[in-house]
Amino acid sequence: MPVAGVDIGSLTAKAVILDDGRTIGKSLVMTGHNSRVAGRKALDLALMDAGLEEGGLGRIIATGYGRLSADFSSENVTEITCHARGAHATHPEARTVIDLGGQDSKAIAIDENGRVVDFVMNDKCAAGTGRFLEVMAGALEVELDDLGGISLKSESPAPVSSACTVFAESEVISRVAEGVSKVDIIAGIHQAIASRIYAMSVRIPVNERIIITGGVARNIGVVRALEKRFETDIIIPEMPQHMGALGAALIARERAG
Amino acid sequence: MGDALAKLMELRDDPFSMARGWKERTGGKAVGFFCCLASEEIIHAAGALPVRITGENRVTSKSGAHLQSYCCSLARTSLDMALTGDLDFIDGTVFVHTCDTMQRLSDIWRLNAGYAFHGDVVLPVRFEGDAALEYMREELASFRQRVSDNIGPVDDSALVESIKLYNRNRELLSELYRLRREDPGIIPSDEALWLVASSALMEKSEHNALLEGVIEDLKGASSDGSDAKVRLFAAGSVMDQWDFLKMVEDVGGTIVDDDFCTGHRYFDAEVPVDVDPIEGIARRLADRGSCPCKYLPSRDRAGCLLDRAGEAGARGAVFFQFKFCDPHSFDYPYIKKALDEEGIPSLHLEIEHDSVSTEQLRTRVEALLETIRGC
Repeated sequence: MPVAGVDIGSLTAKAVILDDGRTIGKSLVMTGHNSRVAGRKALDLALMDAGLEEGGLGRIIATGYGRLSADFSSENVTEITCHARGAHATHPEARTVIDLGGQDSKAIAIDENGRVVDFVMNDKCAAGTGRFLEVMAGALEVELDDLGGISLKSESPAPVSSACTVFAESEVISRVAEGVSKVDIIAGIHQAIASRIYAMSVRIPVNERIIITGGVARNIGVVRALEKRFETDIIIPEMPQHMGALGAALIARERAG
Repeated sequence: MGDALAKLMELRDDPFSMARGWKERTGGKAVGFFCCLASEEIIHAAGALPVRITGENRVTSKSGAHLQSYCCSLARTSLDMALTGDLDFIDGTVFVHTCDTMQRLSDIWRLNAGYAFHGDVVLPVRFEGDAALEYMREELASFRQRVSDNIGPVDDSALVESIKLYNRNRELLSELYRLRREDPGIIPSDEALWLVASSALMEKSEHNALLEGVIEDLKGASSDGSDAKVRLFAAGSVMDQWDFLKMVEDVGGTIVDDDFCTGHRYFDAEVPVDVDPIEGIARRLADRGSCPCKYLPSRDRAGCLLDRAGEAGARGAVFFQFKFCDPHSFDYPYIKKALDEEGIPSLHLEIEHDSVSTEQLRTRVEALLETIRGC
């Protein structure tokens, strides 16, 4: 019987439906102000994608910061465990998961079975998260999705010393006033994020290979900056934003027996 | 819940009500203190009520003008309580030099809070050895003199009586922890830790009487052997986040033993009674297990904590630290390493009194429990 995982994040809600270990439906919607409604919408869209009715589903597991608001799931599991499980399923060679989401960032050390060994999360600081990039894209009048590609053209990234969203924004504005090119500023922002994530991650054992999940994984500039900082290639999965939902669905499948 | 426990739990929402009530009844003086190294017995023997100040969850309005932003929220919110008049019932304050922030806070407090009595107890950083013991004796004797001059006379017989009362409290709290190690289900962690914290907020003889009642009830209690919750060991300085502790219980964990200074460190070791009382108080300080602010060369702090976690049957550990707390942050990496080597999963939480977000911490605690259970 098909199972579902629903990951209600701070910025987006995602759902994945698995049948016999194969993804047969998925969705992604903006969370907005009501995480319960967003989770429901993500589930409905994934069901539509899979051509299923809700009654045709076995177990549903919710994850993400809005997991407790989900009234359609019988159980919930933290996004830390779910990202680890999702990443392990698609890339069993991964031993470190770096999840850069809308409002938080985390590094998760996993073992050869995809079990969490240790993890570390950002506190209240939004540096290195999707929100940080949104603010920077706004300040530079660049589309969020274009940031990554633009930064790869830089030959001399502008130093952005602070990774604090508020301070970095004023620093970026100073660079603009100094006449530094957008390309170099954006590359500098990505380097600042990479340094921040690196400093957080090394508090846990960081073993190869590293996999990146969450929406920020779609920014190739951040990924390249992280690779430089960690001095290793980083795996970008096919569906980085759906890793948590996939993990939740996999746990649902295990528990369904 | 028995009557004694219910009575103590009622006081948690208004922790200073006990001190205010005592002052009204007795007309005595209340003396605030911060650190569990402050020798409460000496204050008590002078006829005053020692009252522990541990900050509170509040957004500060006045302390920011006096403190750097890198000071911990314990200092920040406590000073704010003083400056806004919320500690108007105290007649003086005692500071122990434990870290740079507390030492600086003492000066700022003396100049701005305006209480009649201000005492500093400067204990050595290294607690072991004859020189340290002699230094502690002299410093404690000098503190006793200052208390005698400003609060009330501290004679030997009163001091011996106070020591006995405090030792009895330590004995009872040790018994509470022993009972919880046997069966943590008899009382949740937040209530157990309040039983310790409340001890430093009310007259000891009253606390002893209530505690005796609680322990009597707990001895007869049983959680039907259902030790279903994951046993955890916790470490940190002040633990006054009751919602956090309740959340830990809600998600299936329980803190069976701890190294909080409002927990086990508060009642660890008794004052020897067969020596001069000041000598006895000094010896107890060196006999206590571990403290991140003091150096005990013969004892390995990580080893002590691991042993206690083992005795408690803890399957995981939670470090609950205030942001900018130097002594705890300094010890953390090596204790964490020792836990990792023993295969004990742990969680490092950093909080501030002025912005506690229990829901954000919930995810981390749940993830720790999932890691322990191998979810």
